[in-house]
Amino acid sequence: MWDTFIVIPMTNLLLLIYDLIGHNFGVAIILFTIVVRAITWPLTAQQLKGTQGMQELQQDKEWLGIQKKYKNDKEKLAQEQMRIYKERGINPFGSCLPTLIQFPVIIGLYQAIIRSLAATPLSLLNLSRSLYPILDVSKIIPLNSTFGWMDLGRPESIDLFGFALPTLAIIVVITSYIQSKLMTPPSNPGDQSAAMGNMMSIYMPFLMGYFAMTFASGLALYFITSNLLGIAQYAMMGRANWSNIIPGQKK
Amino acid sequence: MKSKTIFVLMMALLLSFLLSGCSASAMRTNSWSGLNADADNAYLANGSFVYAVSLKNGTQVWRYPADKADTKEAYFANPVLTDDGQVLVASAGTGHSLASLNPANGNMNWIFTDAKGVWLGSPIVLDEIIYAPNTDGKIYALDLNGAFLWAKAIGGALWSQPVSDGELLYVTSLDHHVYAFSPRTKEVLWDLDLYGATPGAAALDADGNLYVGSFGASVTAVNAGTQKILWNSPIEGWVWDAPVLDGETLYVGDLEGNFHAFNTADGSEKWTAIKPNGPITGSPLVMDDFIVIGTESGTAYAIDREGAIVWNYPVGGRLYTAPAQAGDMILFSPMETDTILVALDLDGRQVWQFTPSE
Repeated sequence: MWDTFIVIPMTNLLLLIYDLIGHNFGVAIILFTIVVRAITWPLTAQQLKGTQGMQELQQDKEWLGIQKKYKNDKEKLAQEQMRIYKERGINPFGSCLPTLIQFPVIIGLYQAIIRSLAATPLSLLNLSRSLYPILDVSKIIPLNSTFGWMDLGRPESIDLFGFALPTLAIIVVITSYIQSKLMTPPSNPGDQSAAMGNMMSIYMPFLMGYFAMTFASGLALYFITSNLLGIAQYAMMGRANWSNIIPGQKK
Repeated sequence: MKSKTIFVLMMALLLSFLLSGCSASAMRTNSWSGLNADADNAYLANGSFVYAVSLKNGTQVWRYPADKADTKEAYFANPVLTDDGQVLVASAGTGHSLASLNPANGNMNWIFTDAKGVWLGSPIVLDEIIYAPNTDGKIYALDLNGAFLWAKAIGGALWSQPVSDGELLYVTSLDHHVYAFSPRTKEVLWDLDLYGATPGAAALDADGNLYVGSFGASVTAVNAGTQKILWNSPIEGWVWDAPVLDGETLYVGDLEGNFHAFNTADGSEKWTAIKPNGPITGSPLVMDDFIVIGTESGTAYAIDREGAIVWNYPVGGRLYTAPAQAGDMILFSPMETDTILVALDLDGRQVWQFTPSE
């Protein structure tokens, strides 16, 4: 099921793009990411809207009132919250959906990259079973996994004075941090949810950086492209909060 | 907001777990066993260990490494038995090791770890020099004591054992080419595009003709002297392993599950390809009375020279590894089962099976 609907279509799309653009797997991953971002564009827009709406609620008098009034009656509080969500047209789970979509994409893409590059006999055998008949890819296998200085099927690093510097992972951390900060709306001091959001914007980039450092560098390339496209999208929608980027700066 | 944060954290942890699982799985089982045998033992390269198994009763004689598995090593290439009494085992793990073992006890004679890529193809020994193909695209030359002599880039990733006419090495590559390489001058004399990746070795006949199957779904005959293609026969599926010669007949299986017999003279099919019960990855084994193949579905087939099935036996697991002959027994190494070696007699009955103790 997972293979049929996620990994195999992704593998074939990657191979199709690879074949069309002149056998460059790095560019194929970048174009693939653009396609994924284009498909999930409405969801990302919804996420931004949801985050903004939730943030505004935190300062709303009625919202704060019901929190105080029903603090000992969880059921009633939930009912009142749902009423306000409905009245204001806010979907409390809307901001989670794009995040939810991202995970199968990341896992599927990782598997598609490893399967497409087929660095081992078993993976090459698996790849032979993953190809749609309409694609004549027997001539392009094995794929050229080199992109710049990287082997996209392996974790990336650059030797610097005898130290293996994971440059892609560092770029992933920076771009993930910028992206998460840009989408965080301005907040008031003492706002607990904003504090949690700030913690997330520190924690998540390092987690993504860890993935980028540990797994195939093709995945890191996806992260970086996706982050840059996300930043561009927020900027184009006029939602980017540039003052958030520098830690400690007054908002 | 708080619940969303917890949700995202949980999902991130799940993602981490799943990605780790993907890579760990990829590392654990990235190929299938390599198999060889001498008069006394079968030698099985099976992931973390190389086993010597007694042909008499299927018991373990030794294993390498004897104690704990080295997580950096994964043995899948067919072990090679040298005339001076060594067993050469090549690792597809990150340790990049090519080791010589004592066939009597499995003790290591020497080890070479300086290749950049991993070893998926077996080395060949010619005039007391070991020529080992590596996935970094080079042939490494070592003496029989494991001393490095030289390395020469050929092209693409080399996954298969070279074949030789005593003078030149013929090396197939994943880069779609077959190369003729002179170990004396260390030069590639010529190469030929086969229009498809070639993970399996070539077959070479006494007249200097090479026969190669590729992912281009064809079998090609090339005269090594003139470098001219003699014939090219398209088939349904990709060819994984080396075709095998039997006089003027060439046998080859494909990933669509077809088993072919070609006339070496012109590439015509001797009989309509038969289709047993699953993809065929390993080379056929030519015996006196029949030809033996294994299928992915786990069945061993004996097929006579007219294309009729003589017997079949459900070995179990997946038979990716080419069968090997050991006296009057046929050895199969199934994958995805606890039993990693099965011996059949010439009537297709099981003689013994070997399951490692741990």
